[in-house]
Amino acid sequence: MNVFILYLVLLKATVTSFSGLASLPIIRDELVVKRAVLTDHQLNAAVLVGRSTPGPIGLYIVSVGYFAAGTPGAAAGWLALITPAFLVIPLLHYLGRSTEHPRIKNVLEAVVVSSAGLMLATSIPLAQDAVTGALPLIIAAASCLTLIATPLDTIWVILGSAALSLAASELTPFR
Amino acid sequence: MAAQPGGDLKPKLRDLGAVFIRFGSLTFGGGIPTTAALQREIVQRRGWLDPQQFGICYALGQLTPGTNLLAFCVAMGWSLLRAAGALTALLSVSTPGMILVILLTRAYETWSGNPVAQHIVHGALASAVGIVGASCWQLVRPYLDRRRAARTAVIVAGSVLALARFHLPPVQVLGLAALVGLIWRDRGSPQAAPKDSFTDSPS
Repeated sequence: MNVFILYLVLLKATVTSFSGLASLPIIRDELVVKRAVLTDHQLNAAVLVGRSTPGPIGLYIVSVGYFAAGTPGAAAGWLALITPAFLVIPLLHYLGRSTEHPRIKNVLEAVVVSSAGLMLATSIPLAQDAVTGALPLIIAAASCLTLIATPLDTIWVILGSAALSLAASELTPFR
Repeated sequence: MAAQPGGDLKPKLRDLGAVFIRFGSLTFGGGIPTTAALQREIVQRRGWLDPQQFGICYALGQLTPGTNLLAFCVAMGWSLLRAAGALTALLSVSTPGMILVILLTRAYETWSGNPVAQHIVHGALASAVGIVGASCWQLVRPYLDRRRAARTAVIVAGSVLALARFHLPPVQVLGLAALVGLIWRDRGSPQAAPKDSFTDSPS
């Protein structure tokens, strides 16, 4: 895939989202559904890689770029990730201390909440790819509940899930 | 050694870069723990920004599209050392993670065919689904108080249906949600909504 086009597609995803994984629905729509340069499996793996590293959650876009177009794609992903951050400078200049305007807050809240709904809808095909039996279902549910209910870091949840899956495969090789 | 929080101490560029590399790109868990770590370091320990300046940077980071944490770091860098500070903060907070992500993705591609690695990856991919689910919840949770719960539920359900059932493009769904937010004010409006603590909002 052309790296500049990839950058624009990923930029569209980052510039229309307001948190790390909220860009997921647009990325899936553009790269998995419309352009078929990425599979659900790779998208899931990108989320996994992004959450296995320290730093911003949105870094998963670098992994998406790598899967789509190798190292130049990863660079495009990184640029798409950091470009919208510069928009804060005019905001700082013009809005300054008047960030509590109720109308602006209402619109932004609605967009953030909608992002969560879109993420939920996007997680359905991702789950169809990754949750293929009882054990993955248990792992997915336990991971979700653990992250919601405890302050445990994501990396431990991922490592625990991997260890559980490996242990289960040793116990039941013909699963 | 704790500095008096006054916001008058301006850092050297290399010190700024060192802080953002250390606390911005080496803290696991995304925006919340990183924001807390940066507040301790920049406001309480070094006194580069006062709490109000820090709060403005945080609020504007939340208003900026994209990854909130990156915008927040750019805002702090700009407030301290203008363009050089903004660029240093952004590069410091994003570059180490980018390199690590590329290395991990390469490792994934190399090892994902190995039978033992396949079992490990299977479990880890299933947990990724749970991670996305938990992120959804963490995004929605601050907006589920009595004042906003009904609007939140309608927008979430509408967004799920619009994408999963009617296959509307996500950008259109977000545009419709913005329209709903403009028309359907929460019951606290026109008063400003209570300020969400940075510990409540994911990045």
